Amino acid sequence: MIAQQKTLLPDRVSGLLGLGQYGVAGDLVAAFLAAFLVGNLMLAMTGVAGPWAKRKITAAFTDRIAVDRIGPFGLFIIVADAVRLLSKELIIPKNADRPAFDLAPIVVASSALLGFAVIPMGTGIHLADPEVGLAYVFAVAGIASIGLAMGGYASANKYSLLGGLRAIAQNIAYEIPLVITGASVVIFTGTLQMSEIVAQQADPLVTVAGITIPSWFAFVNPFAFVLFVVANLAEVGRNPFDTPEAPTEIVAGYQTEYSSVYFVLFYLGEFLHIFLGGAIIATVFLGGPAGPGPAALGIVWFTIKIWAVFLLTQWFRSAIPRVRIDQLIQIGWKGMLVLSFANLVLTAIIVGVIV
Amino acid sequence: MSTQKETPDKPVVEGVDYDALEDLLGETVIDRESHLNAEGFVVRPDEVQDALFTLRDEAGFDHLSCLTAQEYEDRYESIYHLKKYDDPTEEVSVVVPTSKEEPVSQTAEPVYRTADWHEREAYDLIGIDYDGHPDLRRILLPETWQGHPLGKDYDQDKPQLVSFDEHANPLQEDHADAESDTMFVNIGPHHPATHGVLHLETTLDGETVADVDPDVGYLHRCEEQMAQQGTYRHQIMPYPDRWDYSSAGLLNEWAYARAAEDLADLDVPEYAQVIRTMGAELCRIAGHMLAVGTFALDVYGDFTAIFMYAMRDREKVQTILEDLTGQRMMFNYFRLGGVAWDLPEPRDEFFEKTRDFLDDLPEALEEYHDLMTGNEIFQSRCLDTGILEPEAAKSLGATGPVARGSGIDYDLRRDDPYGYYDELDWDVVTEDGCDNYSRVLVRLQEVEQSAKIIQQCIDLLEDWPEEDRDIQSNVPRTLKPDPDTEIYRAVEGAKGELGIYIRSDGTDKPARFKIRSPCFHNLSTLPEMANGEFLADMIASLGSLDIILGEVDR
Repeated sequence: MIAQQKTLLPDRVSGLLGLGQYGVAGDLVAAFLAAFLVGNLMLAMTGVAGPWAKRKITAAFTDRIAVDRIGPFGLFIIVADAVRLLSKELIIPKNADRPAFDLAPIVVASSALLGFAVIPMGTGIHLADPEVGLAYVFAVAGIASIGLAMGGYASANKYSLLGGLRAIAQNIAYEIPLVITGASVVIFTGTLQMSEIVAQQADPLVTVAGITIPSWFAFVNPFAFVLFVVANLAEVGRNPFDTPEAPTEIVAGYQTEYSSVYFVLFYLGEFLHIFLGGAIIATVFLGGPAGPGPAALGIVWFTIKIWAVFLLTQWFRSAIPRVRIDQLIQIGWKGMLVLSFANLVLTAIIVGVIV
Repeated sequence: MSTQKETPDKPVVEGVDYDALEDLLGETVIDRESHLNAEGFVVRPDEVQDALFTLRDEAGFDHLSCLTAQEYEDRYESIYHLKKYDDPTEEVSVVVPTSKEEPVSQTAEPVYRTADWHEREAYDLIGIDYDGHPDLRRILLPETWQGHPLGKDYDQDKPQLVSFDEHANPLQEDHADAESDTMFVNIGPHHPATHGVLHLETTLDGETVADVDPDVGYLHRCEEQMAQQGTYRHQIMPYPDRWDYSSAGLLNEWAYARAAEDLADLDVPEYAQVIRTMGAELCRIAGHMLAVGTFALDVYGDFTAIFMYAMRDREKVQTILEDLTGQRMMFNYFRLGGVAWDLPEPRDEFFEKTRDFLDDLPEALEEYHDLMTGNEIFQSRCLDTGILEPEAAKSLGATGPVARGSGIDYDLRRDDPYGYYDELDWDVVTEDGCDNYSRVLVRLQEVEQSAKIIQQCIDLLEDWPEEDRDIQSNVPRTLKPDPDTEIYRAVEGAKGELGIYIRSDGTDKPARFKIRSPCFHNLSTLPEMANGEFLADMIASLGSLDIILGEVDR
């Protein structure tokens, strides 16, 4: 299994198509093709999640049926929605700050896509495996904040401005606990390399009644897992931390003035971020693509794990109230930060004593 | 506080001894009128505050229920309908005539803060100028409107120009330096949290609300004027359904029915009273369900489970109401002297359906408590936010669940009984928290009490002897109450005290029809609750007030 993951997707593409003989150009084409594959996989998932799964899940929580008119289980609503959204008029406010207004949705959507480059998804789908993989994924996910800030101020709308400010305050407050908690896992693994983090979780932790529980970091350090999931919810701005959008307070926050394609990009970016958050959680805490059955099923298990995280966000959306902005900041700076540092120090001590 | 000698704890007057009151007021009274609900003391327009201060501080009339302004052939008149929060059956009116040439009357705002909005409305629609009013602007009509539509010389064919000016930041002057700037935001008229076309002129200092001024009137449909053009017997009853349209229609119809029946001295058969009571309480449940659901929407975010559950339970009530009245929202079911028709046949089926609903209700309510009042984030959002102290609530004329959430034990169903309420066993719910959380608790518990009332009504109706089932008394085909009879009557609507003032002029149509809307005055408490709080709390407070813009703007 580990051996299989050592072969990265670009190399496999290159091998399959015989691109190796073209030197650097061949490598570039192979890398591009592989990235194209992964990008489309994630976009397809978002496409299913946004117009269809989100509605179905929320409907299940609220005793409704949701879309069921077009296609099996209403699945073709995805096509209908895509046509509807893309054919809308692109309205740009008169006083909008043009390059920033146009760039913001692209920054938000692309920053999330960049993160998937280092995620090992199993079944050999792994684009790149740098030694700083975990740091890289946090870094590119953080770029989204810039996009939100750009969208917030460039829209020339007071609600957008408030939403942008809230988004930045929130991301700064929760980025630190997120990274610190991630670092507590690094203390165990001793490396930032994603494939290595996944590989170390394959060892059995305990065997209870014949069932071997792997040493996923969610089992090894459940406290860090909970902290990470909460910080991640805030990071992607989902309930109870959806204050930057807060429809009943500030209409739609930073994306109030966006329509048509730009809105789609924002929307896409948000869902990509949920999935990226899920991918990080799955990789760092849930053993990545590990699961019962042959290793070839890795991508299936991986998909199930990130969808579980998605389901969790939708569950909270239906059932949990939104915290107020001051409470949000307080929870971040006074609660999460302290707890994550405590977790880091404790982990360091325990690892230092035992290992 | 001109005439206040000391703070008397107990009112000098026990009961409604109008002669003693007249002695108390002394020189300020220049004449006395008799209205059907209470005696009215006529005072000079420059002594309004003296008279009101005396009545409030020395006679205990702490509730300015309504202000009716009207124009006669020879004069303008403002009638202050005063009540006591302790006992609303004790009423007195202060009548202030002003001349045609110079319609200036002293403001009552220093005595009752609720007079602020009352007088702005009177100025807007009738054209009486209240001297000393802190902010006498139009309230329902646009600021540029010409003329006063309920005045006698109003030309309704005159074209009106409504400009589209930007609103200025009222605090701009206070924050001249660049370091501490405030931001003016228009919340509404189209905004997800305003529950309709309400416009909040909000000034923000960061995330904090520095100033908020509700701008109402977008849904003004001249309901008073329309009622004045209809005949008492049938043409007015459909309108009340359109005031509070959150399925609380029967409660509104009862307000008109009560005022008109007392005005024309009509009886209502007991059987019809029981049906009315049952229907009204069903409407109250529907209204409170919507209130709780939309409040959850404001606090939780998007469309949540609670909102859908609340709509589902409201739907069940509406189905029952549809069986009863034939309509789901615009019932038009009450008639003067009774109701339109008897319970639907087969009666057993109707009873069974209603009982099923009542049996499921405790479980449903438990679910709301689990999801809302038991949730810790919900508590941290709602406890100690949107504080409305009882004194402020009284002065601002708050009634209904808003007042009861501030610990004011005031419910017209018990304190000024009508219908069949005094025969039934139920409690008035109050909570002392004065915050958003208390107001939600009050509504949820009131649903339980309403269910209790409906249960008893159904038991009564089921055993009612068949020969006694009179649904209407004998009412003359054309009602023409005696000229110059005046009456003000209120009922407990879903949102609070819904009062109707009618003055007859001997014809079959009212000469003046004034609606005292509970939502209108509950909304005027918003600045009191929201100034200095966070923006998110202001939205929650607005939701906890449960305003229906159809009733605010009329």
